[in-house]
Amino acid sequence: MTTTALRPILALLSFTAALTACGDPGGDPARQYGADPYLPEPHQYLLPPMSVPQEIGWPSGEKPTVPAGLKVEALATGLEHPRSVYTLPNGDILVVESNGPGTEAYRPKDFIAGKVKARAGAAAKGGNRITLLRGPAGDGQPALRTVFIDHLHSPYGVALVGDTLYVANTDAILAFDYQPGMTHISSPGVKLTDLPAGPIDHHWTKAMTASADGSKLYVGVGSNSNITENGMAVEEGRAAIYEVDRLTGAKHIFAAGTRNPTGLAFEPQTGRLFAVVNERDEIGPDLVPDYLSSIQQGGFYGWPYSYWGSHVDVRVQPQRPDLVARAIKPDYGLSSHVAPLSLLFSQGQSLSPDFANGAFISEHGSWDRSPLNGYQVIFVAFVNGRPVGKPVPVVTGFLGADSETVRGRPVGLALDRSGALLVADDAGNTVWRVSAAQSGT
Amino acid sequence: MNPYVIRPLLHRGFIAAGGVLLIAALATDYVYYKTALWQWSNFSAWLITAGLIVMLVAVIVLLFDFATGRAARLETGSFVLVAASALISLINAFVHSRDAWTSVVPQGILLSAVSAILLLIAAARGWSIATSRAPGDRS
Repeated sequence: MTTTALRPILALLSFTAALTACGDPGGDPARQYGADPYLPEPHQYLLPPMSVPQEIGWPSGEKPTVPAGLKVEALATGLEHPRSVYTLPNGDILVVESNGPGTEAYRPKDFIAGKVKARAGAAAKGGNRITLLRGPAGDGQPALRTVFIDHLHSPYGVALVGDTLYVANTDAILAFDYQPGMTHISSPGVKLTDLPAGPIDHHWTKAMTASADGSKLYVGVGSNSNITENGMAVEEGRAAIYEVDRLTGAKHIFAAGTRNPTGLAFEPQTGRLFAVVNERDEIGPDLVPDYLSSIQQGGFYGWPYSYWGSHVDVRVQPQRPDLVARAIKPDYGLSSHVAPLSLLFSQGQSLSPDFANGAFISEHGSWDRSPLNGYQVIFVAFVNGRPVGKPVPVVTGFLGADSETVRGRPVGLALDRSGALLVADDAGNTVWRVSAAQSGT
Repeated sequence: MNPYVIRPLLHRGFIAAGGVLLIAALATDYVYYKTALWQWSNFSAWLITAGLIVMLVAVIVLLFDFATGRAARLETGSFVLVAASALISLINAFVHSRDAWTSVVPQGILLSAVSAILLLIAAARGWSIATSRAPGDRS
């Protein structure tokens, strides 16, 4: 009797499991590079395609892979979730150790997502501090490593203008007096302006860069959800790039509709502002391509109502055809779910002639796609201030060959004073230094 | 055990409790459909999840009813109604895990409605999905 009763239940369960497991694998990311990416039809899933690699860290002595002619070494290890790197004029290197402030679980899904993130290492506690590294110029291990600024609140962006160091916490920009050679700042800093943060603070990073003349700071503020599932009220002033007056703290939205602008930088030839932006999830393994784009003042880039110009996202109600009509197509697709988190323009041939003119972009990678995509640092060449051609992988090997394990995940990028490329690795708790290989080594 | 004593079926109260939660999700889905206010879709997701958990408890209690000789045999009609509703609600839990509008419209609210209708019929049949062992029944 008992087994008879169970049989239909088991049959129903296995049927449901089969139903929810179906999900088409993502295609060749190369179809989505550049100005005109392939955009498949969006799908609504019972269970969106995902692949969750397990974070294992770097086995002793192992390190990322770089092309011939370059070498990579660990500049600092044992950090607490390093997210950004920044080089000061005297060569000192700042490492921002940080993670999100944590979010409430509003839905049953949020509990599950929390477990998934923990497995992939994204739940690790950040140091909420900035560590200073000072090394013999150009090579080797830092001779000095100190806690530069402590007790920050999910910091991310850093910018030095004159003798003021600006740190973008998730909820405010703080200003600190800085003198060359300082190894520790004990003052709590002065608040320049508030930034949109809680409640929720779904996309918490505040990327920041200063204008060439130092009069303005530009700050990336991510959306408070994937696609407005936390309501429109909490999206007020989010998914935007702000322009902040450095002296007064007055701020306004410079460009909007950028779902999660995680890296900002000025293109050196034209002086135009560029951003890398993380696009929306859960409508397919090849939707929506993350992008690199110049940012027009007053421009609207689609989120949440549409993507890649005027492709409407039906998940957002009520819709806004007026905004969709003026949504700007981004300049350059990076392919889907690569999670670009940092944008750095090269400054000459310090690494190799191949990387003389263009942008390095770190792709943190995500679990919203199967097979996985990203988990590398790429280079996109620029001609006349515009991205051209296909991305070239520069630093790889973060993902295990079987895609089952993650050894590290690249985040912040900077050039040190010698022109070597610094890569913050938040899963590997390491800062890597990529430089031109010396002849004979 | 005295075969002449009728002992109550324990599972039916749990079926009723789970059923009420799953039916309530139709109401919250409807409010979301009319208002697009996000919190109502969250209520639906929680109601469906909680309803399924209580239904799982009901299955365990049903087995207990059989094991202790309270239940005689499955009441096929009601069992199919409740089992189909649970299956639909399980799928619906995944539909409701989508983000924003398509977590409810159109599939979510449709599944909630079908599930609610099946459960209301099961309610009319007294929620019980097994027959009570009659006095003297030795099957």
